Amino acid sequence: MWRITLKGVVAHKFRFLLTAVAVLLGVTFMAGTMVFTDTISHTFNGLYSSIYRHTAAVVRARQAYATSSGTERRRIDASVADTVRGLPGVAGVRLTIEGYAQLVGKDGKPLGNPGAGPPALGEAWTDSAELNPFRLLPGGQPPRTSSEIVIDKHSADLGHFRVGDEAVVLTKAAPQTFTIVGIVTFGSADSPLGAGITVFEPATAARLLGEPGKVDQIDVSAAPGATQADLARRIDTALHDPSLEVLTGHQVTKESESSIHKDLSFLNTFLLVFAVIALFVGSFIIFNTFSIVVAQRMRELALLRAVGATRAQVTLSVLGESLVLGVVASAGGVAAGVVLAAPLKAGMAALGIDIPAAGLVVGPRTIVVSMLVGVAVTLAAAVLPARRAGRVLPVAAMREVAVEPTGHSVLRVAVGCLVTLVGAALLSVGLFAHVAHRLTYVGAGAATVFLGVAALGPVLTRPLSRVIGTAITSVRGTTGELATENVARNPRRSSSTAAALMIGVALVALIAVIAASTKASVGDIIDRAIRADFVVTSGTGNPTALGLSPEVQRRIAALPEVSAAMGVRVGPARINGANVYVGAGDPARTSRLIDFGVSQGRLEAMGVDGIAVSERVAADHRLALGQPLTVVFPTTGARTFTIGAIYRAREVTGDYLISLASAEQNFRQQLDFQVYVKLADGVSPHAGRAAIGKVLADYPTAKLQDQTQYKHQQAAQIDQLVNLLYGLLALAIIIALIGIANTLALSIHERVHELGLLRAVGMTRGQLRAAVRYEALIIAILGTVMGLVIGILFGWALVVALSSQGIRRLVIPGLQLLIVAVVAALAGIVAAVGPGRRAARLDVLRAIASE
Amino acid sequence: MGSSPEVLGAGMRTASATAVARMIDGVKVYGRGDTEVVALAGVTAEFPSGQFTAIMGASGSGKSTFLHCMAGLDRLTSGRVLVGDVDLGSLNDRQLTILRRERIGFVFQAFNLVPTLTAEENITLPLDLGGRRPERAWLQSLVRVLRIEDRLGHRPSELSGGQQQRVAAARAMATRPELVFADEPTGNLDSRSATEILGLLRAAVDDFGQTIVMVTHDPRAASFADRVLFLSDGRLVRELPDPKVDTILDVIRDLGD
Repeated sequence: MWRITLKGVVAHKFRFLLTAVAVLLGVTFMAGTMVFTDTISHTFNGLYSSIYRHTAAVVRARQAYATSSGTERRRIDASVADTVRGLPGVAGVRLTIEGYAQLVGKDGKPLGNPGAGPPALGEAWTDSAELNPFRLLPGGQPPRTSSEIVIDKHSADLGHFRVGDEAVVLTKAAPQTFTIVGIVTFGSADSPLGAGITVFEPATAARLLGEPGKVDQIDVSAAPGATQADLARRIDTALHDPSLEVLTGHQVTKESESSIHKDLSFLNTFLLVFAVIALFVGSFIIFNTFSIVVAQRMRELALLRAVGATRAQVTLSVLGESLVLGVVASAGGVAAGVVLAAPLKAGMAALGIDIPAAGLVVGPRTIVVSMLVGVAVTLAAAVLPARRAGRVLPVAAMREVAVEPTGHSVLRVAVGCLVTLVGAALLSVGLFAHVAHRLTYVGAGAATVFLGVAALGPVLTRPLSRVIGTAITSVRGTTGELATENVARNPRRSSSTAAALMIGVALVALIAVIAASTKASVGDIIDRAIRADFVVTSGTGNPTALGLSPEVQRRIAALPEVSAAMGVRVGPARINGANVYVGAGDPARTSRLIDFGVSQGRLEAMGVDGIAVSERVAADHRLALGQPLTVVFPTTGARTFTIGAIYRAREVTGDYLISLASAEQNFRQQLDFQVYVKLADGVSPHAGRAAIGKVLADYPTAKLQDQTQYKHQQAAQIDQLVNLLYGLLALAIIIALIGIANTLALSIHERVHELGLLRAVGMTRGQLRAAVRYEALIIAILGTVMGLVIGILFGWALVVALSSQGIRRLVIPGLQLLIVAVVAALAGIVAAVGPGRRAARLDVLRAIASE
Repeated sequence: MGSSPEVLGAGMRTASATAVARMIDGVKVYGRGDTEVVALAGVTAEFPSGQFTAIMGASGSGKSTFLHCMAGLDRLTSGRVLVGDVDLGSLNDRQLTILRRERIGFVFQAFNLVPTLTAEENITLPLDLGGRRPERAWLQSLVRVLRIEDRLGHRPSELSGGQQQRVAAARAMATRPELVFADEPTGNLDSRSATEILGLLRAAVDDFGQTIVMVTHDPRAASFADRVLFLSDGRLVRELPDPKVDTILDVIRDLGD
């Protein structure tokens, strides 16, 4: 039987080729993602091991609770190092200071891609060679004075800096010009993950990056003979300070590795979601191919049954074919995935994330998981057609060619509706119920809805295709009519082909609706809440990563053209057991710049111990004005605040707002995320802009925007993300188009006789091609229309679910969706080119003669 | 392998007087209500071992249905079909399949061979399906008698119609079945190839004691058989021993009146 299976695949290899591509593309993306992230992970593990090779122990402040990044810590006194240095077994000590430092290029623009790219960090130089992660390249010197710096090779290459050049560096202090005295690598890499590194002389580093006399952590190297564990214990005992923790070098290495691993696993999961979507779409193509091939081979399968193949043997032979297909396509996918990892890496490098990896890591997990998933998807999709193959009656071997059942049963409608409802229920649970793993529910629900609609597809296909077909027929006459009939004659086939396209289009429509709704909602909030004339932003979407020096706010506030300027900061904290972000601003000035929609209390009356909470939080946690609220900061621990105000507009700084004074005590990062500016009475926007612009000339990361510009920038940030998602979804749509081409090719193969007849009675090649083209067009429109409907419904559900997150308006971007529909329909026509040409090239005589 | 050719071949070697297969009061009704069609209306027939029987009848007479039901490809509405002493009605799909595989051979009018397999693979197909190893000597004598030794490596598309039908005949007899059913085996062949295949079927009966049941509408083909059974409107209406083309035509004329 296995031989029959193999021969079947070989004999129909061209039939299976496009199907294999559908599987292959999904597996390629999956394997590529895993190779890519494994490679980065491997590289970093190697990097950390080599950098921490000589780090035997690390002393740092204990976190009040574990933040996601693990970097939010109180700074410790540099004097701790003196105690450590004197202990037996300690060979060397490094005072580590890290903070925001943005190198400015020769063109006056900040180097790299601040805001979207990797971070810009400042570090302190250490003379302990074995503890220094940075290697000076030949010709360089360590920074020795307050005006000397050393920069990483990646930045040097990017900014064309050489030793001896001068460069401006932005820190939390005023911008300052330094002399580059050396260029360093990070271990063997040009820079850590493409981050821009500036290394200062230690005292300068403390002043510009942290606090004078304080350091972030102390790295210790061991004298020969001292073990890491012993040394760490000895230091801990000697320091005898419960606010400090002492870790061994091994622990720190593990911690760094697992932190990278966590970041990567997010990226990994994000990309894998799209691989899974692609495979899901691919499974429709596989299902369709096998359904068609089984229908076309009914007679042969019946013959097998007649001469003694059991039902199970026939089913297994078809499943066997899918197994071969799955194995071959998945293996091809893994191979292609390894190749894909290189351009993925290049793509990330283009975004500024330079991965210091030479080789590619193809782990056994990549191969095993990709193969298993690819094969499993192929097998699962072939199960139904295989069962149908097994059910063929042996007598069919002697009857005329069996046709696919075309009628749609009540059962199909019932099952289809039921599955759709179950999917919608799962989706609702994920969106609206307070359960764990909500995204899993949403994903499973959406997939189930797609399956349900696909099951209902054949019922909808006939009427829908008639409607679409009538339009074409009215323009194109017979060829259009023929195309319509061909779509409608095999509703199952047409609908599952269209369903594959439906999924991609639905997801695109969903994203378009969400994006448009978000943009409109954000625009509303900006209109309503922002009273400031200008907003200065640091060009980042991540408020805790980098920001503006507080100097910016101070200098703008001092301008005579300005009546008020307020910096806003955001920092991590833990409230009521949840990790949250807390916003901070100057309560005295807020109401002139931002309308928080305060419903109870007064922001202006809020002191350093005051906190304002959003109405949502107040309702969720039953908080009332004047009540105490405990906020745990990772740096300083638990602090008790008194609720001084309750406000509506949670979209500006989040659910919590504390005073700037309190933020200065409790946040580690002392940079402003944004600065809101109100001009003095009688100052024209033009004059105001000129005055503020003069100040900002010193801060090239700062962007000055009025309300309209700010709105556009927010929209542009959303668009950027949306475009990335579209790009990733393109794969699913390409696979769906391959599916259309595949179905048409298989149908034409089956209709050779009929096509020959049409040609014989006078249909031209062009007309035949056109008929095939319109058939594709109808299927594409069918899939697109179903996709748009589902996508808009999903979008609506999501907008309702997200209304508490500030997305209050449902916007359906009509023009954009129309463009999606037109593009999908045109792509359908493109998919028909190959099959159409084949149909037209048909030899009339042979076609009529063929059985 | 677990093959037991002695047992399987046993039916063929029993005394020629015993019936290899029988249908008793066979009734087959298709459809229901208005669309009801009675294809077989109570047919009783026996097929003695080592005999070549032809079944004739006008189209719609039920001869194909009769063959399908006898061969275990289709089930009777009522009545019984016995192969040896096994009642086909008592078998489930799997048991029926295995019975077909081991005890029955088929030659069809067309689309007889699996296009992706070579001639040899097609011949051993029923054996492969049962996981049995072919009896080399038997297969060699079969392909020699059928004169397809030099065609074994070819695919069906590379064979002439007559050659294809001979391969199909070899496949039908490869398992040494008790019964071979042939459904219009010459329907798609030119007269030379037809004569050849009929001669070979005749030889299988004479030389190996093979039992053959053949459905045909061609009197010349039927004349190769030991007897002809005539079906009309789902009933067995006449039995003609030692048929000649003339006598067959006479019966057909009689029945037509």
